[in-house]
Amino acid sequence: MDLYEYQARQLLDEQGIATPNGIFARDVDEVAQAADTIGYPCVIKAQVKIGHRGQAGGVKIAHTREEAVAAANAIFPMVIHGHKVRGVLVAEAKNVIHEYYVSISVDRTSRDFDVLATANGGTEVEEIAKAHPESVKRLHINALDTFDLDAATEMAKNIGFYHADVDQAARILLNMWQCFKANDATLVEINPLAKIGDPDDESSKSLCALDAKISLDDNAAFRHDGWKRFAGASQLDPYEQRAKELGLHYVHLQGQVGVIGNGAGLVMSSLDAVSGAGEEQGMGIKPANFLDIGGGASSEVMRNSLEIVLSDPQVKSVFVNVYGGITSCEQVAAGILGALQAIETVKPIVVRFDGNAAQEGLRMLSDANDPHLHVFDTMEEAAQQAAHIAALAQAADKETNK
Amino acid sequence: MTLFVEDGAPVIVQGMTGHQGMTHTARMLKAGTNIVGGVNPRKAGTSVTYPNAKNGKDAVIPVYATCSEASKATGAHASVIFVPPRFAKDAVVEAIQAGISTIVVITEGIPVADSAYFVELALRKGVRIIGPNCPGLITLPSSEQSKGVNMGIIPDGIVKRGPLGLVSKSGTLTYQLMGELSDIGFTACVGVGGDPIVGTTLQESLEAFEADEATKGVVMIGEIGGSAEQDAAQWASTHMTKPVVAYIAGFTAPEGKQMGHAGAIVSGGKGTAQDKKVALEAVGIPVGKTPRQTAELMRKALQSVAA
Repeated sequence: MDLYEYQARQLLDEQGIATPNGIFARDVDEVAQAADTIGYPCVIKAQVKIGHRGQAGGVKIAHTREEAVAAANAIFPMVIHGHKVRGVLVAEAKNVIHEYYVSISVDRTSRDFDVLATANGGTEVEEIAKAHPESVKRLHINALDTFDLDAATEMAKNIGFYHADVDQAARILLNMWQCFKANDATLVEINPLAKIGDPDDESSKSLCALDAKISLDDNAAFRHDGWKRFAGASQLDPYEQRAKELGLHYVHLQGQVGVIGNGAGLVMSSLDAVSGAGEEQGMGIKPANFLDIGGGASSEVMRNSLEIVLSDPQVKSVFVNVYGGITSCEQVAAGILGALQAIETVKPIVVRFDGNAAQEGLRMLSDANDPHLHVFDTMEEAAQQAAHIAALAQAADKETNK
Repeated sequence: MTLFVEDGAPVIVQGMTGHQGMTHTARMLKAGTNIVGGVNPRKAGTSVTYPNAKNGKDAVIPVYATCSEASKATGAHASVIFVPPRFAKDAVVEAIQAGISTIVVITEGIPVADSAYFVELALRKGVRIIGPNCPGLITLPSSEQSKGVNMGIIPDGIVKRGPLGLVSKSGTLTYQLMGELSDIGFTACVGVGGDPIVGTTLQESLEAFEADEATKGVVMIGEIGGSAEQDAAQWASTHMTKPVVAYIAGFTAPEGKQMGHAGAIVSGGKGTAQDKKVALEAVGIPVGKTPRQTAELMRKALQSVAA
């Protein structure tokens, strides 16, 4: 789960990492109030989980209440790179002397944790790495080893902090590591970590986290009360929310062919097969969703799955692709037949079974003799057919809407 | 010796008395795996009877308090773990400390910090972990006298012994490809799992298949997320003498959405199926568009080796 900036700041605060004063605001009135409290000038920042929001106009400076209100009015309706603005953060404006980049993340290749930093902060790290590859410093932290002040101090010097900044930067690195561990994070990124203050007054200068990105490990939710305090961070749409409540792995994709299968890999493969078929047939047919019923699914799980997929009005056909390992195709067939009885608006369902109890499952479907059911031997044929049916239905819809 | 474990090796099951453990222990026994004990401190001293599980006879499997006790009593150095995510780290650490040398972790949903911990511990102690969040390992017997090993949840009876190896991030796609190539057969199939940090990588599996004389070609199944496929391909391009063909799932996966597996996510434009396909093809590993086409590529590659 990715956190919004205003939530990530909270976790940094808890570890004693300095951030500018800030208040999260949900509407224009709250922004005006928050800006008065913070003082002027302040920064009005769109809360979206996507980079480059500054270039997209999602970050504005306000010197007066009127400017704060104008900025809020401009930002709230924005959709930035496909992401709706969720709220804004009103934060103290700081005089920035220099910008650094620091992150800690899970390194999948070296199977440990990776501290990545550069004295050329401010933009996205991929761009920094391209423009100044030599400036990017790395340090691997092993799960069995400790990351201590000595190591942090050396890293701080290596990044290019100097004089009094070294100690402060080392403390920040240690606190970031603490933040990473204590919260079961998979990413803690501060960008920029800024040197702020009056350039002419040495005593006014300090390091401050001006923006932060934190991702939490969903698998560790059980250690953190289910991340209840960040409940607002999830961006599930109503279908995804309902699927989650039923314990199903569902991702909404906005196409026309509902896809249900067992096992994440097979379902992804089924999506690819539907997309491929859609492209070949023209008409822009795409998969409507990813839905993995998992291993050993009961008929009830299958029935719930079909109900969710068919509740999406965009869905014109459904592709059920099951290779029975632990999962019994008989159970899946029972679930399909149960759903056919319970659901009012059923769309054509194209089924491909293989493996455990496939023959029994197929027999149950053929005995039911339901016109909505279409059975194929291979996933390629079934995907073709599901895409074809969806294309015909879409064409018919367009005809009626003329 | 076949892949990662000896023919007929005795195996213990951690979490055997739970629902998953019961179901799959019965299945593994029926598949001929030499299951010799379970571990559960609260049920130590009891035993579990699996009706008709061993050559048509009942199998009575004793339950031990700890891995160490189980290993000492049975001589087992291989373990399959079915314990729930919150207890998985302790279970794996216990197995490592008990001197178990091959550990298959089936459990899905283990925090990545826990996996990073036990994977590193295993690497330092020279212990082979397969998984977590994987279907496990199946080896096919190399002679009439010996027995294969089925450690995990891979269905028995899809394949017979043959010259192919298979390594995969996904369970059902493993079964699908096993099914597509069942007429040729396999030496071993290993599901490495779909988590960000795993005990055995795609590359390490290729290394094992390269070293295994009986294996003549390898199918590698990858998916979106990370760069394990690219790493494996890079290694294969300079070290592998046997043909490798691949399948990658998730070309249609949108950015930033986790597709079932914890590790199956495209983030910041990295880890896309297209990138993987390009990287694999660049070093001469053909990538099939569908599982069926991948199987065809494997057949062709095998023919060219034989020719």
